Amino acid sequence: MSLGNPFRSPTSKKRPRISKVGDQIFLTLLLLAVAGIIALTVGLVGALVFGSRMALQTLGLSILWTRTWDPPNNTWGILPFVVGTLVTSALALLIAVPLGLGAAIFLTEHAPAWLRAPVGQVIELLAAIPSIIFGFWGLIVLVPLMRSSVDPLLVRYLGWTGLFGGVIVGQDYLTASLVLAVMAIPTVTAISRDSIATVPRAQKEAALSIGATDWEVTRRAVVPYARSGIIAGAVLGLGRALGETMAVLLTIGNSPYLPTSFFSQGETIAAAIANYFTETDSGPLEIPVLLEAGLILLLITLAINVGARLVLARFQQGGGAAAE
Amino acid sequence: MSSTSGSATTPPASNDTIVRSKGKSRTGLYAVIAVVVVIVIILGAGYAAGWFKSSSSSGSSKGCTLPATATLDGAGSTLVAPLMIAWSLAYTASTVDYSAVGSGTGITDITSKTVDFGASDAPLNPAQRAAIPSPGVLTIPESAGAAVPIYNLPGVAGHVNLNGQILAEIYMQTITKWNDPQIAAINSGVTLPSQTIIPVHRSDGSGTTFVWSSFLSAANATWKNTLGHATTINWPSGELAEKGNSGVTTTVQETPYSIGYVDINYALTNGVAYGAVQNPTGNYIVANVTNIESAIKDSNPVFPAATGDWYNFSVLNAPGAHDYPIATFTYVFVYSDLGKAYSGYSQSKAENLVDFLSWIVGPTGQSYAAPLYYIPLSSSAVTFDTTAINSIVYNGATLPVCVPT
Repeated sequence: MSLGNPFRSPTSKKRPRISKVGDQIFLTLLLLAVAGIIALTVGLVGALVFGSRMALQTLGLSILWTRTWDPPNNTWGILPFVVGTLVTSALALLIAVPLGLGAAIFLTEHAPAWLRAPVGQVIELLAAIPSIIFGFWGLIVLVPLMRSSVDPLLVRYLGWTGLFGGVIVGQDYLTASLVLAVMAIPTVTAISRDSIATVPRAQKEAALSIGATDWEVTRRAVVPYARSGIIAGAVLGLGRALGETMAVLLTIGNSPYLPTSFFSQGETIAAAIANYFTETDSGPLEIPVLLEAGLILLLITLAINVGARLVLARFQQGGGAAAE
Repeated sequence: MSSTSGSATTPPASNDTIVRSKGKSRTGLYAVIAVVVVIVIILGAGYAAGWFKSSSSSGSSKGCTLPATATLDGAGSTLVAPLMIAWSLAYTASTVDYSAVGSGTGITDITSKTVDFGASDAPLNPAQRAAIPSPGVLTIPESAGAAVPIYNLPGVAGHVNLNGQILAEIYMQTITKWNDPQIAAINSGVTLPSQTIIPVHRSDGSGTTFVWSSFLSAANATWKNTLGHATTINWPSGELAEKGNSGVTTTVQETPYSIGYVDINYALTNGVAYGAVQNPTGNYIVANVTNIESAIKDSNPVFPAATGDWYNFSVLNAPGAHDYPIATFTYVFVYSDLGKAYSGYSQSKAENLVDFLSWIVGPTGQSYAAPLYYIPLSSSAVTFDTTAINSIVYNGATLPVCVPT
């Protein structure tokens, strides 16, 4: 097949016909992929709405502020689950972000070159561990450790806050939050590390040149520049914590009540759905209510993501990596 | 922009390099794709040739050959799960897949026809029975066990005496300490710790919960009026909830001063301490296969019709002096007309299912019960079950007894 004079300029207008069809096919496939993903998302949300229509019609959003979950007596309150989800995720993030950010700063700023790759790989390995393994580890290792060693210390030194009351059982809000934190740390670390690595040397050198210490350079020149990436990493870690099911189910005690202390047993929306989804004992309203709870979890996650994007937009003028 | 063929004409030197390197990378890609395709073809041919099927040796209960092998799916009770798994390994004429997802899920699954048989320690309540689509299911008791109160009391040896009243109050959180006067009163000579009791119950819909709550309802009027008996109970706060008999066992083993309820086989297999429960004659009975079996016998159980309502059928609180009071049958639910119940269900698969059910209630199947701490069926129960299983039809026609070879 002749392709014409190979010495012709590349910007010649005459092109072989075949490449146009190839482009069209390529574009069509891309569009199909995008349309497929959108259709999947819409379909998922639609299925949730359709499945929960009975609950939406009879109970509406009242399940959100009803405090009691009592299916045998037709009382459908998911407030304990919502509180469980939000508190465990917030606590997990409170632990994961400082630790993850600290690890990221260490890896990019202070670690010797030979240490960076192995430590980075170990942290990424943590992200690859299946969540059920975390749950099992939490149940077998962390729960007894907390019960016998950590919780009594917390009661002794922090009991005056009133947040560490109740019987120490091991399976409680605190342990579940710790497991979630361990699961969120690799995400936070990886994204923060990438974000910090893009801070230009000029920033750091400028700070150093006016006499800043290492810590001040990090605090005032590096982290603010990488702020948007760090927040993005935190939001991703939060997203993982919000939807985590098995790891929480095994470590939180599965008690559908509002908490009174860090040692209270509780339940999250995801754990509640896993526990109660196949119930037929409490009538036809149970599954629609659980699907509505799933819809609410979806909305919470969406709200947090949107909120994070707004926060990111405000910080955008500080520059930094456009981490998604 | 590039030429698409390895052109023999001489393009400029720089393009030459680009073309060549592009050709190289594509060859690697093609090689990988070719290898993957070849593997897929080989696996597909192997699957079609039956490489992945386990030997379809015939081995059925009636000493005859079934027309084909099949995969039978069952789901439900964790109480009977160890026995079901032993059966599924020993029975070779078909592949039996059993998912121990809890009695509540077993009932849901058989109602939605996603399994061939459902297993549950709780009989169908009226609402569940009404929800079963036509042609309806048969309730077939295939084994029996008992719920025992397991606990974790460091430093306390032997079996702590307990009764229904105390157990109800423990789970209602009106008795909170192990050395409560009510418990101490029936355990003279035992030093009970002054620790808080941590009750553990089931988070999933559970037949064991049904049996346990039925026993507590009979023992305590407040329980009966407030919490009742069902596969799901509105437990008070301050308790742990776990999935499955195994979840409760693991948590009690790990949590000092906790108490839970599981089938006897989980307690014995895992070496977990369990209490002696007071029976109606006043004796404190430590459960074992013998006194559970005698409890079932002394209850003189009159089975309802296999198609009937089993909700009030119970072998709790048997009258004998040495009977264990929390015995229970465990049931299999199977549709009475397999052709009408499922769409596209083959007759040969129906024969396989009926053969499996006949095998598990027959002498070979029941021989697996006692070593695993389950109660073998009495001869009258076997007769009842055999009649019920033989009544399973396929599109109205009785299933042929397989012809001995």
